[in-house]
Amino acid sequence: MARYGMALDYKNCINCKACEVACKEENGILMGADKHRIWVGVKEIKGEYPLLDIVSSSFEPSQCQHCDSAPCQEVCPTNATYYDDNGVVRVDPDKCILCSYCMNACPYDARYVDDRTMTVDKCNFCSDTRLARGETTTACQATCPTKVRTFGDLDDPESEISVLLRTREHFSLKSHLGTKPKLFYLT
Amino acid sequence: MQVELSRRKFLQGTVALSVAGGSAMSATNLFASTESPEKKLSITTKTGAAKEVKEIPTLCEMCVNKCAAIARVEDGIVTKLDPNPMFPKSKNMLCPRGNAGIQALYDPDRLKYPMIRTGEKGEGKFKRVTWDEAFRYITEKTVKILDEEEDNRSTFLFCAGEGMAEHTFQTFYQAFGSSNWLNHSSICLQTVASAYGVTLGAYPQSDLENAEYIIMAGANRAEAIVTPDTMDIFKRTKGRGAKMVCIDPRFTNTAAKADQWLAINPGTDLAFVLALTYVVLDEELYDKAYVEKYFNDFEAYRSHILTNGYTPEWAEPITNIKAKEIYQIAREFMAHAPKAIYYPGRRSTFAKSDFQLRRAMAIFQALSGGIDTKGGLVFGGKIEIEGHESLMPLYDKAKERGVVKTEAGYADCAVVSGGGSWLAWRNNFLEGKMPYSVRGMFCYKHNPMQNMPNTKKTAEMLKKMELVVCIDTMPSDTVMYADVVLPECTYLERTDPVKTFGGTEPALAQRNKVVEPMFESKPVNEILRGLTKHLSRPLFEVTKKYDSEVQDALTEEDEEAYYEEEFDMTRMYSHDQEVLNAHAVHAHEGAAEALKKYGIYYPKMDQYYKQLSANEHQYYPEKEKFYSVGEGRPQTPSGKVECNLANMSSKGIDGMPTWREEYRFSVPEGKFRLMTGRHAQYTQSGTSNNIVLHDLMPENYIWINKRVAKERGIAFGDKVEVASSTGSTVIRAYPTEKIAPNQVFFIHGFGAESSALTWAYKNGGSDNAVIEDVLEPVYGAAAMHETNVEIRKV
Repeated sequence: MARYGMALDYKNCINCKACEVACKEENGILMGADKHRIWVGVKEIKGEYPLLDIVSSSFEPSQCQHCDSAPCQEVCPTNATYYDDNGVVRVDPDKCILCSYCMNACPYDARYVDDRTMTVDKCNFCSDTRLARGETTTACQATCPTKVRTFGDLDDPESEISVLLRTREHFSLKSHLGTKPKLFYLT
Repeated sequence: MQVELSRRKFLQGTVALSVAGGSAMSATNLFASTESPEKKLSITTKTGAAKEVKEIPTLCEMCVNKCAAIARVEDGIVTKLDPNPMFPKSKNMLCPRGNAGIQALYDPDRLKYPMIRTGEKGEGKFKRVTWDEAFRYITEKTVKILDEEEDNRSTFLFCAGEGMAEHTFQTFYQAFGSSNWLNHSSICLQTVASAYGVTLGAYPQSDLENAEYIIMAGANRAEAIVTPDTMDIFKRTKGRGAKMVCIDPRFTNTAAKADQWLAINPGTDLAFVLALTYVVLDEELYDKAYVEKYFNDFEAYRSHILTNGYTPEWAEPITNIKAKEIYQIAREFMAHAPKAIYYPGRRSTFAKSDFQLRRAMAIFQALSGGIDTKGGLVFGGKIEIEGHESLMPLYDKAKERGVVKTEAGYADCAVVSGGGSWLAWRNNFLEGKMPYSVRGMFCYKHNPMQNMPNTKKTAEMLKKMELVVCIDTMPSDTVMYADVVLPECTYLERTDPVKTFGGTEPALAQRNKVVEPMFESKPVNEILRGLTKHLSRPLFEVTKKYDSEVQDALTEEDEEAYYEEEFDMTRMYSHDQEVLNAHAVHAHEGAAEALKKYGIYYPKMDQYYKQLSANEHQYYPEKEKFYSVGEGRPQTPSGKVECNLANMSSKGIDGMPTWREEYRFSVPEGKFRLMTGRHAQYTQSGTSNNIVLHDLMPENYIWINKRVAKERGIAFGDKVEVASSTGSTVIRAYPTEKIAPNQVFFIHGFGAESSALTWAYKNGGSDNAVIEDVLEPVYGAAAMHETNVEIRKV
């Protein structure tokens, strides 16, 4: 058993969106801008041309935070959202009744409706696909031109992600909410 | 006559040297290896129930980069494209377009069968025919035209887009014997590649893994992805090893990732570089040892820069970049030299001064000594492979390239390059200035309707051609004007010629066929095999009729043997690509097998290649990399950096980069300078029908300054008409502060007029419907950013 997490060297991100396409192709996600498991957040730049605030324009690659204390799991009335053995927050399509409480509860806006399975689905670190085949990277990590992501086992002190988190400063998104995210942004 | 004859013999000699002895290869030896590229997998993704899963290494063709990919094939269906980590050029990545490549294969709109036009040109009405019918039709028309033109082979134009099989098509052009070849060069990187070529002897690569200081001017590596440059640089900016200064009129994604961004006036980069050069010469910051050893005409150049007074203060009002910033950049650059790079870039010509700009950049770089050295510009190593068979008969009646000459030289530009000037050629054709009539056209993987300025004129040209044959995968705007359409299979359905990739970590890479061609599509090699079977002999009969040299020869030689040796086009396409590739690399033991198994080969790959971490791989050990191949020596014939091109001066081109008042940026009140460019999610018009990419950005938007948009009542998503003297297009607005008040921008490749393209048809705006056909003076390249436009809310 592992406890999977992901470190993001987010300053590398050039907003090319290779990860979004790789995710859709790998996991068979439907077309549509509202059908994203993974995305790059962009802020419109501050200032007036040509005096623009270069640091105000950043790209923030993101996806489900796989919280250790996930609000979406807490509110799920049917236990369709659950933690698997690897600490990955998963959805059981047989149990999901599409009540969408999870969509409201998630502070990261990481849940979306899959119209085929009628499930409020989410990123599952490619657990059904790549991990099931024995691969050790997610589709988004593998394809990234500038190698933003490192996926791995947080419980293994020798894993690359553990080494990165020991040696590099990092932060989590909305950590004040007590969600204990397992996505870590390297600074 | 005597001279011509000996020239023919001479050419035959040179051709023979490059001909591969294909017959010596045995196909059984090639494929005898018991190892196959397939890897059995137990679990699949899409269905969970695939009986057979294969992973096949291939090379992407969603843009020009040729990144290595691994295709997962489940029960014969391509379900995923993953990066192939073994290629030093693309280093374990696939961009969004690479990921969306499956859609190129499974696009329901793709060309499926040979077709012959039934409606008006441009109308898109065709009937399905068999390959034989299509070939017979082409043969009949071609023979008729050539007979009427008395075997002037140049009455046919051949044009091709960039690609791994472009050369295969070019061998057809050469054997056909026309002099009219037009490719992407003059609407692509002709000026930059040639200017570096004549100055440094080669168009170098940039060692962005080791550079400490980078000037990225007019190059947008975050959006116009080039491998490995894009991957190398953006891990190191923002205080992480390299300082990058981005010089661009727009605040691009590259600017967002830079350490400093300076908004320059469009088309004034030459003044900026001249001012940098002034500082370096005036303050004597340059690498004196390098200049002493490797410069020609340094004193003349030094004097030229200093006496013309190209000071930062002079450049400030021209470029809109502060003099103190020019001083700062020049000094910082030289402080970091030779680990400093003025990035050469890779793009179309934007301004008329582009050739001079590139020359000035190359000389500025050389002043730092950062040539052929780690952290600077590098020439790199290259693995030699053999060329394949070609045939270049000389046709006595074939006229030279259709150009307009004057007493001084050429009417349109100083130099006519191998790829020609598309715009000049098209316009001369339309204006009746051609020295002879051109009546037919073979077009391979090329979309002149969308790829060059002034779409109306291109349409007129295509209408005037009596026979237009298009080989393509998609029903592009150009295909709509074809008389005969020959469907090529997509890159995932064919093996292409093996290619050698030079650089600090050179390698060979091969595009392997992933699945069998769908419908009746074929690779170009097989299309030409079929076409030449029909065409070759009848064309020879025309030659026999008009070519007195051939008639003379036939009095002495056996006709069949003579035809087979000198004119039989079919033999170039008699071998399958797999056989040709194995022969091309036969000097490298194990290469053919490695290219099939891994898609990649380089000497000692088995020892050198290893995975360092989940994201990183070693291709060559550090000490084996080809940072320096000639101890800094430029690769010009003289072995020197050429500051002054005396032969150019005689053609009316400045021998040394010189600022001209006509280069100054100005826009009349109320108008906007139109800029175009590329995007990480689209490659020109070739990907505009890709539904997966539409998912990321459904159409292109015009950038317009937010304050200007507000004044004019234009909000996000509003439709505006963009108009110039060429024409107009309608596009939705994106008001933003990332662009100057007198400039607008939108990406190229949208606004298709082909109704056979479900998603691209009339989707977004077409830049080339608006851009005026302005010629750059040296090579006649299309200068894309010289057009002022009006904007009107509709």
